[in-house]
Amino acid sequence: MRIVIAEDNALLREGLSLLLSTEGHEVVAAPDNGPDVLPALLEHRPDAAVLDVRLPPGFRDEGLRAAIEARRELPGLPILVLSQYVEETYAAELLAGGAEGVGYLLKDRVSRVDQFLDALHRVATGGTALDPEVVSQLMTARSDPLAALTPREREVLSLMAQGLDNATIAASLVITERSVSKHIGSIFAKLGLPPSDSGHRRVLAVLAYLNS
Amino acid sequence: MRTGRAPRNVLPDMRPTLHHVRDATVYLILGLRTALPALLGMCLLPYALFLLVVLVVLLPWLPFLVRPMRTLANAERRRAGRALGREIPEPYPELRGTSVERSVALLRSASTWRDAAWMAVHGVTGLTMGVLAIALVPGILFALSTPLWWWAAPEGSVSAFVALDSWPKALTLPLAQAGLNTAILVWFIPRCAHWQARLAEVLLRPTRRISLSERVEQLTETRAEALEAHGAELRRIERDLHDGTQAQLVAVALRLGLADRRFDADPAAARTLFLEAREGVEDALAQLRSVIRGIYPPILSDRGLGGAVRALAAAQPIPVTLDLPDADPRAPAAVEAAAYFVVAESLTNIAKHSGASHAWISVRRDGPVLRLTARDDGKGGADPARGSGLAGIRRRVAALDGTTSLDSPDGEGTTLTVELPCGS
Repeated sequence: MRIVIAEDNALLREGLSLLLSTEGHEVVAAPDNGPDVLPALLEHRPDAAVLDVRLPPGFRDEGLRAAIEARRELPGLPILVLSQYVEETYAAELLAGGAEGVGYLLKDRVSRVDQFLDALHRVATGGTALDPEVVSQLMTARSDPLAALTPREREVLSLMAQGLDNATIAASLVITERSVSKHIGSIFAKLGLPPSDSGHRRVLAVLAYLNS
Repeated sequence: MRTGRAPRNVLPDMRPTLHHVRDATVYLILGLRTALPALLGMCLLPYALFLLVVLVVLLPWLPFLVRPMRTLANAERRRAGRALGREIPEPYPELRGTSVERSVALLRSASTWRDAAWMAVHGVTGLTMGVLAIALVPGILFALSTPLWWWAAPEGSVSAFVALDSWPKALTLPLAQAGLNTAILVWFIPRCAHWQARLAEVLLRPTRRISLSERVEQLTETRAEALEAHGAELRRIERDLHDGTQAQLVAVALRLGLADRRFDADPAAARTLFLEAREGVEDALAQLRSVIRGIYPPILSDRGLGGAVRALAAAQPIPVTLDLPDADPRAPAAVEAAAYFVVAESLTNIAKHSGASHAWISVRRDGPVLRLTARDDGKGGADPARGSGLAGIRRRVAALDGTTSLDSPDGEGTTLTVELPCGS
């Protein structure tokens, strides 16, 4: 894949480049400040972009703004946003333009290289990757209606909202895919969501529900 | 911050209404209650001073001499303060030391001499104005009734400007006199009353120097509290970093060192240690995030106070109505951090304890003050003594010289108001 990285910390930028090139990806541009991000994305039109939220010169949320702007200019451009801390509000802003090809993860997650690459791959292929912390913030805010779910169903919902598919959910909970499907059916029924099988539409429904 | 009482301003408004003339007359007549003792004190003062100076041994008794004067001045402060609708504070600095030192301090204190000056002026003018106020109304009645009986009085005993000896004079001059008296009553008496009250205010209030030194004392006190709170905050952060993050990283380094030693002999064990080390780093990062959030929440520097409060509101399980200014209410970083903490903590309290179905948050910059209000429609009855949430808010606000007030009647919801001075 051709990838654009925006990260102001040199160590982290080198680390990410190394990690991605070792995996056979090509880092086509690596801007280290906010104003350079959007032009780089528009010029290279990468298969995926990995953006830090806080960038020079303002050290506020330049990366996030660039991501939203870029997706307005190039709808569907896969963007994975990394941050030292996660805010539900930022997730909501990112997802407002559609959840396809959007990721929002804590920077810490790069330490689990496999999961990080999997998330990047998911985003690049039009999927979603939301940090478990964001999902738990979302679920806390909607704790009342979620009280009807069993603990296992809440676990499944959380993993589903992170953007994982049935197979991955089944693997991480050590249950069969069949029982994952059963749980999902039950969750949709309890929350009053229309049943849907397709992965992305399902994540969208869940996120829209949590985010409402 | 204090809110001023609504002034009940009686005297300065001098519309010549019956109401004001009556109030002014009563004020001046009651002024005799301080004017007469003041006159007496004024007469005694030279003797007292003479005695003190000549017989220096009497000096330690000066405080006993000053005390009645202060009692009198305090009575006048209250009386004039009520009439002017603003409090006249006592100017007396606290006395310390031996009785001689206290006496010397009293002699050097401006307030002693200003009290004495007031006593002299009020003794004379207060008596004059009081007598005038007593005499005016009967004088008017007397003059108006004169035409009815002047002819029966002994010749030359009744006069209005001049002795009355003919009907034309008796029918006009007393009326003129009554008119003059009425004019004095309506025009002059309210002015006298106002002047008397202002005299007390000007001479008996603290001088600018004393007010400033009191303010300095108060600021020194709050500054000491703020430093104390700041120190406690630093110690808390140090403890969090030292016992949490730092210890965690040491453990990680240890595991990596062990893994390094075992790498060749036992790769499987080394791998387990690597994985544990990674978990340790993740924990350390999570702890660091929470420490940073406690120092200065990152969203504040990203989005300002308005954006940060919006993010908090969006994360609540119940609807929160926000009242934020259009322009972001910028304030010093410490104030913004405290404000964010207050809003976060009150929203947590509302969600946890109030049983409310709706909450309202208002953040307003009101001149030099940032005012926060958190209101809910829950069950009320919040007790600041219980629960660490409210106590924490109070502490954090007090450290910045702010005030917290809680209104939580049973069954009628809770309103928390916090005011934080912004220093500009």
